[in-house]
Amino acid sequence: MGRYLGRQLLTIIPTLFLSIVINFALLHLAPGDPARIYAGQDIATEAQIEATRRALGLDDPLPVQFLRYLKELAQGNLGISFAYRRPVLDLILDRMPATLLLTGTSAVIAFVGGALLGAAAGRRTMSRLDLSLSFLSYTFFAIPAFWLGLLLILIFASKLGWFPTSGMRDVRAGYTGWRAWLDVAHHMVLPTLTLVLVQMPIFYRITRASVVQQQREDYVTTFRATGMPHGRIFRRYAMRNALLPTVTVFGLSLGFVVTGAALVEIVFAWPGIGRLTLDAVFRRDYPLLLGIYLLLAVTVSLAILLTDIVYAALDPRIRLR
Amino acid sequence: MTTPNPLLHVQDLSVVYRAGEGAIHAVQDVTLSLEPGRSLGLVGESGSGKSTVAAAILRLLPENARITSGSIVFDGTDLAELSDRNLDRLWRWRQLAIVFQRSLSALSPVHRVGHQLDDVLKLREPGLTEAQRQERIVGILRAVRLPDRVLRAYPFELSGGMMQRTMIALALLCTPPFLILDEATTALDVITQAEILREMERLRAEFELTTLVISHDVGVINAIADSVAVMYAGQLMEVAPKERFFSAPAHPYSKALIASVPRLRGQSGRLTGIPGTLPELHNPPPGCRFAPRCPHAMPRCSAAPPPLYQIAPRHTVRCVLYDQHPEQRP
Repeated sequence: MGRYLGRQLLTIIPTLFLSIVINFALLHLAPGDPARIYAGQDIATEAQIEATRRALGLDDPLPVQFLRYLKELAQGNLGISFAYRRPVLDLILDRMPATLLLTGTSAVIAFVGGALLGAAAGRRTMSRLDLSLSFLSYTFFAIPAFWLGLLLILIFASKLGWFPTSGMRDVRAGYTGWRAWLDVAHHMVLPTLTLVLVQMPIFYRITRASVVQQQREDYVTTFRATGMPHGRIFRRYAMRNALLPTVTVFGLSLGFVVTGAALVEIVFAWPGIGRLTLDAVFRRDYPLLLGIYLLLAVTVSLAILLTDIVYAALDPRIRLR
Repeated sequence: MTTPNPLLHVQDLSVVYRAGEGAIHAVQDVTLSLEPGRSLGLVGESGSGKSTVAAAILRLLPENARITSGSIVFDGTDLAELSDRNLDRLWRWRQLAIVFQRSLSALSPVHRVGHQLDDVLKLREPGLTEAQRQERIVGILRAVRLPDRVLRAYPFELSGGMMQRTMIALALLCTPPFLILDEATTALDVITQAEILREMERLRAEFELTTLVISHDVGVINAIADSVAVMYAGQLMEVAPKERFFSAPAHPYSKALIASVPRLRGQSGRLTGIPGTLPELHNPPPGCRFAPRCPHAMPRCSAAPPPLYQIAPRHTVRCVLYDQHPEQRP
């Protein structure tokens, strides 16, 4: 187990370095000139643009810029945002809690709900429950998240007025203590529901397929022959085997908790990383984008590492080989 | 000749699979009798219905299969009539156990072998204390000559032969009087197969087992059975004591089965296969089911299904070549 983990950890280092190189290269290959944007799109003279370019450090050859970036990075410095004129790390840390709260909550609900419903449907395929859930899962899987979000706002916020249309807290009310938490929870309902509804079908389908497959396995026949009731076989043996693929997908989806909900964050004006990212793209804010991409690479790597650990705990065939 | 009461008596058993539009008559009017302590070999090619007979006896048929007629009387009780719950509580594993072919996947891959053996014992004999269960399990492992470390192992850590011994241990856990070996050595290499067969002969005596051995391999049947029942396309073709079956097989299909096995000793001859394939069972031929492949087929073979003829004590054949003998009365 220790050696296995050590090996997984070591592979993260080259993965991260490679992603840094690729991110840097792609960003500078992309069209658009930050110097022109920050000098003032239409009114700036060529001299002003050149001065801005120098000020932003974009006048050096690309390899020089890259080495400078690496050197700063090695000292834990992610650079200064072009647009906000603040350290990139501060900007990211400011936005991180809101995003993690939203995406983490919805990922857990979608995983648990999808796995439970998938298991219920997989145990009785072609039952009425299975048919209706499968129909719903196709429907929600096909609906774009931002559109579903707008629909929910129309129905539950504009029409019924049950939930706020946007934001994370009611600024005018100025709640403190537990009322403040309740206020955030109230604001969270619709964006969370949106994310849960579009993510749940994935966990549902994988668990369902996996449960169906596990029930055909030879060991189920063995236990049936011993007289063990279906329910006990399912709870003690089949479910654990069936969860393995679902855990993998959950782990991979955790990798995208930081940036995966960008469109939903925009629809609900949620002050998270997703919106920060889209703004940074439009403003060609290179340092901020590089910082966010690095964060994405790190979270994906950590999520995969975590998945490997959980997987090894669940499956001895991986742990002991 | 007086015969003791059979432990298992299957009478006129028929099993039908629903498949799409049609029905497949996988087992038709099979009658088998097994006296205590005896071992019956059920032999036939893939698809002959022999494993379906085993599944029917244990009432483990898949959902699309149904016992359409017949009785399965075990120790005076008709298992075909019992509820699933009743079977679970009183019969399965306490009275009837089975060893399957694919032992490597016969236990959950993510749970320890010992945990799974213990769980079954806990289920079947809830009165035992943990120490008693442990003692029983270790004792059974010794009986099948497995080291204790198997208990801490996961299935993938064991070899095919060890897993097969483990499955035999699992089957003997509640010391049932009756054991089905369903192609139990088929997946093993020949050396391990011979080892397991020798082991089974020994355990049969030690545990006073009555066994039903299902195999496509007449060699396996020869090694472990006292009598032989030949199945073809869902029907019994011949039932005979083992010595008689191998020295004087009566049915053309039995003769062909024995001739298709290579011999290590004695005169060498051409190995003969059986031309043709099993008939389609959703629309079986009107007469003898083997007629289309039979070298002795006559016009009357395809006219009506032949009855079983009693050609010697305990020896019956379903073939009109023996119509000078009396028909067997059910």
